[in-house]
Amino acid sequence: MSEAVKVIDDVSFGDLLANPYPIFKRVRDLGPVVKVEAANIMMVTRFDDVMAIERDPVTFSSINPQSLLNTVIGPNLMRKDGEDHARERAAMDPSLRPGVVKRCWADPMRAICDDVISQIEHKGEAELFEELAAPIAARALADILGFDGVDWRTMALWSQSLIDGSGNYSHDAEIARKAREAASGVESAVDRMLSHHRDNPNPSMLSSMLQADPAQTVEQIYANIKVAIGGGLNETRDSILTLILGLLQNPDQLARVRAEPSLWGQAFEEAVRWISPIGMYPRRLARDAEISGTLVRKGEQVGLCVGAANHDDRRFSDPEKFDVFREKKSHLAFGAGSHFCAGTWVSRALVSQIAVPMVFERLRNLRLKDPELVRIRGWVFRGPTHMPVVWDA
Amino acid sequence: MPTIRFLLTDGAELAVEAQNGRSLMETALEHSVPGIIAECNGSAACATCHVVLPEEILLALEPISEHENDMLDFAEAPRESGSRLSCQIKVSDALDNISVRIPAA
Ligand code: HEM
Ligand code: FES
Repeated sequence: MSEAVKVIDDVSFGDLLANPYPIFKRVRDLGPVVKVEAANIMMVTRFDDVMAIERDPVTFSSINPQSLLNTVIGPNLMRKDGEDHARERAAMDPSLRPGVVKRCWADPMRAICDDVISQIEHKGEAELFEELAAPIAARALADILGFDGVDWRTMALWSQSLIDGSGNYSHDAEIARKAREAASGVESAVDRMLSHHRDNPNPSMLSSMLQADPAQTVEQIYANIKVAIGGGLNETRDSILTLILGLLQNPDQLARVRAEPSLWGQAFEEAVRWISPIGMYPRRLARDAEISGTLVRKGEQVGLCVGAANHDDRRFSDPEKFDVFREKKSHLAFGAGSHFCAGTWVSRALVSQIAVPMVFERLRNLRLKDPELVRIRGWVFRGPTHMPVVWDA
Repeated sequence: MPTIRFLLTDGAELAVEAQNGRSLMETALEHSVPGIIAECNGSAACATCHVVLPEEILLALEPISEHENDMLDFAEAPRESGSRLSCQIKVSDALDNISVRIPAA
């Protein structure tokens, strides 16, 4: 006998945005699939269930031509499966492979971090969201895409507008307008740059897409560059801040990581497990199916709450603690299955090997200005939004 | 049905019956072989399905792609000359009785 989907109707959307983790815990303990009314979605929150779903893309499909994401940015690889997905993914991967990151992107990314830090180093205090993490993430992404000369604030605005637009379930006219504006901004930027990248093959994503076999259409390029802008900026920015925050709140762990730099990688994985930059993404049922005994019908959508799975106490002890030295286990912050984050290796290199080590190297005796001032927000996307710090200049 | 002998990091051996046409990674998951995580489920994107094969078998396999080759340098356990991503290798009779070692990270 399969169970019916249980419902939670006494939490508000504001509660979710402020701190989804207590709600995730309630959902996890209540059942494998729980409808949370405030978010209007059926949440899957247990680690093993999310992993099992991601191993069965035929049942739990990403294909969803009617999705808001497709409306806002056009048909793109995140809402495709199988061969269609694999071809578009293969067209961007040559820019994002770990070896390419090391050979082609590490030096430019180091120069960007050096420049951003040089601008604040003398001040002795800064707000790290606006003055450090956002410009680093945006400028690194612009380089990788091949968007030479696009200002970081424009990148950040496009990214936020596209994200807001694809989550605009209340059909707010202003959000929709901004998303359209961002989409056409990205398209004109691509138009301006295509001939340069066609004539000068290089490791950038635009160039990779042009060199791909089969060739990508301009529509595919538009859409998947928008995916990379919407999905490659905020997450990197948020993970930079989260890693810094976790270490500042745990000076003993910071000391050990700084004494043993090979631990930076491990510290980064713990940061994205602890506060996962993407907390949830959807899959659609291609047939009736049971998720650990709970029946979900064909056509319905489930939200894979990887943020919740990364706090599943069946897998991680004291999951709410930031602990670089916890028992080593894989997490789901980069998703799983064929849509496993394409930018994983870029963010690992940028955040854990370059940006955050450089921050602690250059901003001596870095500390939070006042722990009370730190703001962390969001549930589908979550990260520190405000983080004032001081150091010895 | 070929037999695959997984050599685990603790030295133990786990011999399993494998199905032709499935990947070595899928075979390992089906039998809960420890050390094969396979986060990306066979897309050659995560490098968490790293195995080491006997060198004579490598020659009998399809050559390694540029993408897999790049990925292997970044697997958690250091790369060896027989290293492959198990998701990129299809089981066939040619693999009968081979030893597939799970490298220690
Ligand atoms: C810490 C940083 C990051 C995190 C935590 C993260 C997380 C994720 C997650 C969870 C997914 C799966 C979404 C789904 O299946 O619906 C994803 C997909 C994706 N990410 Fe990331 N991401 C990060 C950085 C980046 C960067 C820097 C880029 C680009 C340079 C990027 C590009 C992509 C793309 C293109 C996809 C879609 C892949 C596909 O559908 O095959 N990400 N990311
Ligand atoms: S399963 Fe991810 S690389 Fe093989």
